[in-house]
Amino acid sequence: MLLPTNSSPIGIQHELYHSVTEKTKFFASKCVNKSPAKEKSADSLRRSRFRFCVCTGPRKSNKKTVKWYVKQPTWRLWGEEKADGALYTVYLKKVRYHRPTRSLSSSHSDSDDEISHLEWETVRVRFVKAGTLKRLVEALSTDDGELETTYINVFLATYRSFSTPKEVLKLLLQRYTDLSETQSNGKPDPHEQHRKTLISALHVWLDSYPEDFKEPPNHSALRQLLHFCEEYLPSTELDAKVRHRIERYTRESQIDPLLAPPPAFAMRSGQPGWRVYKLPEVPVRHFAEQLTRMDVDLFKKLVPHQCLGAVWSRRDKSRSHEAATVLATVNQFNAVSFRVISSILVDPGLRFNDRAAIISTWIDIAQELRLIKNFSSLKSIISGLQSNPIYRLQKTWQSIPKEKIEMFDELARIFSEDNNQMTQRELLMREGTAKFADTFGENDKHLQKVFQKQNHHVANISFGTIPYLGTFLTDLTMIDTAIPDTIAEGLINFDKRRKEFEVLAQIKLLQGAANAYHFTEDSAFDRWFDTILVLDDREAYQLSCQIEPSSNANNSKTKRRSSGHQKNDSIASTSSSNSSQFYCDIDSTPSSPHNSLDRKLSPSQMSNSSSNSSLPSLDVSLNSSHSGSANNKLQVPHNNSGTLSTHSQKSQPDFYIIKVTYETDSVETDGIVLYKSIMLSNNERTPQVIRNSMYKLGLEGNPDQYTLAQVLPEKEMILPSNSNVYYAVNTQYNLNFILRPKRTEEKEVPAKNSKSKYKL
Amino acid sequence: MTRPPNENIPTVKLVVVGDGGVGKSAITIQFFQKLFVTDYDPTIEDSYLQHVEVDSQWCILDVLDTAGQEEFSAMREQYMRKGDGFLLVYSVTDKNSYENITHFHTQILRVKDRDTYPMLLVANKVDLVHLRKVTEEQGRDLAHRLGIPYIETSAKDPPLNIDATFHEVVRIIRNQPQNENDKRKKKKLPKFGRCILL
Repeated sequence: MLLPTNSSPIGIQHELYHSVTEKTKFFASKCVNKSPAKEKSADSLRRSRFRFCVCTGPRKSNKKTVKWYVKQPTWRLWGEEKADGALYTVYLKKVRYHRPTRSLSSSHSDSDDEISHLEWETVRVRFVKAGTLKRLVEALSTDDGELETTYINVFLATYRSFSTPKEVLKLLLQRYTDLSETQSNGKPDPHEQHRKTLISALHVWLDSYPEDFKEPPNHSALRQLLHFCEEYLPSTELDAKVRHRIERYTRESQIDPLLAPPPAFAMRSGQPGWRVYKLPEVPVRHFAEQLTRMDVDLFKKLVPHQCLGAVWSRRDKSRSHEAATVLATVNQFNAVSFRVISSILVDPGLRFNDRAAIISTWIDIAQELRLIKNFSSLKSIISGLQSNPIYRLQKTWQSIPKEKIEMFDELARIFSEDNNQMTQRELLMREGTAKFADTFGENDKHLQKVFQKQNHHVANISFGTIPYLGTFLTDLTMIDTAIPDTIAEGLINFDKRRKEFEVLAQIKLLQGAANAYHFTEDSAFDRWFDTILVLDDREAYQLSCQIEPSSNANNSKTKRRSSGHQKNDSIASTSSSNSSQFYCDIDSTPSSPHNSLDRKLSPSQMSNSSSNSSLPSLDVSLNSSHSGSANNKLQVPHNNSGTLSTHSQKSQPDFYIIKVTYETDSVETDGIVLYKSIMLSNNERTPQVIRNSMYKLGLEGNPDQYTLAQVLPEKEMILPSNSNVYYAVNTQYNLNFILRPKRTEEKEVPAKNSKSKYKL
Repeated sequence: MTRPPNENIPTVKLVVVGDGGVGKSAITIQFFQKLFVTDYDPTIEDSYLQHVEVDSQWCILDVLDTAGQEEFSAMREQYMRKGDGFLLVYSVTDKNSYENITHFHTQILRVKDRDTYPMLLVANKVDLVHLRKVTEEQGRDLAHRLGIPYIETSAKDPPLNIDATFHEVVRIIRNQPQNENDKRKKKKLPKFGRCILL
């Protein structure tokens, strides 16, 4: 089994043992180089929890100086611990020690004896689950006084939903002062490390969130910090940084914005002989690049924490400036859509063919945007073309070449709402930090061709990725709605913030990748963009009806769609050269702060890359300036085994997706039956599958108390208690399963290969 | 206990519309998450899918709630096209959200190119009695003008009428007069299946 059973020094209850096994499944399996049960959501939850948790460090004896290496960490949930003003989730972690090598021991000679005969031990690791603001600020330095970078990053990215910069700064400085006052004379200062860590935290804060300190005209937070430095840290790096910052902000505010020349105007007038663009004859690649240039500007300026549910979706109109960068992105998205719509409608005198040509041009631009990986403007154009006034122009659409329509359908499929935007999510996963686009669905024959053509000249292509922000905004809104702000009598629910940070970290990662774009501004394009008349939706509809009168009266409702027999589509890639980079990079740095991006690894990829994933899960700092991190990642070489060819995947699936419903004897829940999709890989046995199902269905308890049965047309097939489920299932039929508690009389008898049918 | 038949369960697509801040997401979350309050993950593929039995008939509810994206006004019509039925949600504490309902209603009918379509007017946040700005009478009056049914909800604990709301829309969809055009109308963009090959 995954957990060594003899290593339970602390009496763990039987049930807990099993839920713990589930919780540690990912880690353990990863370390023993075994494909874990790859159930997407369950595992991603597990992983992300661990990676984003703050580790308050081993709390056993004072081992600060011991150099140890984590070889096979096995984690188990011990329980929750309540301390004054804070709630912790406590895990037990088994760590193996390596004999220090000579070079290491030379610097830590004092600890040599202490650990020479120690093979392993179990340490307690605490994660802050919830706490008062004061406790959360104190947790910035761990119990041992270490800097916990993951925690700091989560905290700084999200604290604005429960506090203000001023309040946090005050508490942080207060903490420092308190730690300074308790110094005992003569003895080595016990809090020195803690104080150092608080200073590091201040540095990280100043570097990553300069806007928190920018409050003209007085910049009172900076003043307060300066005052603090003068008293406690004169002539230190922090002191210098704060002074410099104050100077710079003061200088900036002295430049009257009115005196600065309007840059756009200055540049435009300087250019001789403006080009004048007129649809449909425009350079489509150039248009796509210019739209992307506009989006990149906005995306780099986007402040991720403005996307938080508490800020964006809960804001009232009077505070809309608090989400100004999000609003700017939304406005640009709408602006592009409106331009698509009005450019097609604005001249009612056009012939069908001419109007069709404009639509075709927009499809071409959309195609280029796909290649550049600008999903924001891409969706914006798709939305424009699918808006009612355009969508309903049947005759116009009929004049568009079939291939163009098919390309449009392929592009539109990217944003299908089906399965909770899965297509778009997967795509972002795959290509987020890849250099160029190469992912297409099975039926995307046109995109496939285009990619092949592009990737011929791949040598000097490198693009970032502009995501469609709306999906993140909805996810954050839903998290904000679903998870309470406070738990346990008013403590700030920090686990909620960890969850939010998973989304913010994705945004930050993509922002870093966006530095790969380099498009120079074409003022003629800006002019064209600005001069397009924008119609409101009523006007657009009226114009549309003028062009092609409403068909409501007669019954000719045939829409232009000719998609007909569509198979289910899935994204497959033919390139193994770069598409998996995104996965491998992340997987090889297990403590990357961006780890929610790697949740969709297939079991095979997991096992391939697990060879290098047994790195100690010590924290790698998230670069405080997020610009560089993603780019660096691009350079990380990876083993080419990361990607499977589509080929081998098709011939023999490594797993099935099964649907499991939970059935009890107890009260029905409103006639609602829930099923959960679970990934079943080919080495999973019954207890494991039951455990996965229990986790997915939110059940606790001992897996031995449950049975799992496949629902077949005539009967149910109960799975033997230790069969390999992958081979046992009947794939002739739908993979629908029922999980139910064993009845009392069965608990004694181990379930045999019973084919008995349950009565309902 | 009854459970859904194995095959041939129709999927019903519901779209939740309404201004930002009216509590759309709370209604959706309350409906889907009541049994699983811990470890909510908004990104998994079946987050907003659920088997339901309404009047002894099973169906799969596929709910699209774009809470947080209200201001991407340009894409509204795109997702309206996909809906078989709609929840038009306003907050009884926000008069503007009430007044904007007409706009959503018009937009849906235009997109569907029909004179009527399955919709339900949902007056949310009725638990906030002291903040209420839109009376029940005004709500019913609006519903009457639009020719759609009315329901009052609260997603706060204990929830009021949340399941009833979703079930009611299913009934409305089932009871709509079968239109000749319907079969042709149902042409949607091709569906994307689950992508499991990655």
